[in-house]
Amino acid sequence: MEAGLEHLKRGTLEHAETLLIVVEPYFKSLEAAGRIAELARNLGVPEVYAVANKVQSERDETAIREYCAACQLDVLAIVPHDADVAEAERQGRAVLDIAPDANAVAELTDLANHLMSNSVQSATGQVATDTVPA
Amino acid sequence: MKIAVAGKGGSGKTTIAGGLARILARSGQSVLAIDADPNPNLAVSLGMDQDTAAKIRPVPHSFIHHTEDANGRYSVGMSVAPEQIVADYGAAAPDGVTLLLIGRVEPDQAGAG
Repeated sequence: MEAGLEHLKRGTLEHAETLLIVVEPYFKSLEAAGRIAELARNLGVPEVYAVANKVQSERDETAIREYCAACQLDVLAIVPHDADVAEAERQGRAVLDIAPDANAVAELTDLANHLMSNSVQSATGQVATDTVPA
Repeated sequence: MKIAVAGKGGSGKTTIAGGLARILARSGQSVLAIDADPNPNLAVSLGMDQDTAAKIRPVPHSFIHHTEDANGRYSVGMSVAPEQIVADYGAAAPDGVTLLLIGRVEPDQAGAG
């Protein structure tokens, strides 16, 4: 089984309303995203989307959009490859703290606004990560 | 809203989840961030100090049980009320985000299961 799918099978996702599948512009990442999407839909997760990450070029974006379109997966955000994110990772800090004006932060802000405008207004927001061992 | 974040290893799930959690909190949402990675590091992506992050107590494995129905489908149950778990194990992260660690593999579990 592809790394990470066992988490979904375990039922961790059964109460999620929205699943964001983070995908990078290379085939194995896209292929994994397609499988995760199929599994999540089978589990009955109502909203399943892709979030493109580490996108460096138009070619990267096109590759992700084409693969996701074939999987009926809407791409909610295109987060660019960002040197500020890489630097935050190096330092073990949050990109919001070391580079609040980073392009990646702006894209995540748009994504957050989109998620809030699409969700039923609720007093409680929860962000859960169902993560894949590296 | 309940949002889960998935993807292949190294894709940036944790970075995206951490950024999103804080931006949602700044927008006035009450945010509970749950790190379900066996080898968790969402705390750092949320901007917690590394020493503080290392001291977070994970939710004990005994509180959470997995059951399998006749069709082989798994589900997750809790033996302690969720509110109590958040009160006892929730760690304060920047911008008012509360972080829970669920599923961390402990050194004495290495090689088991």
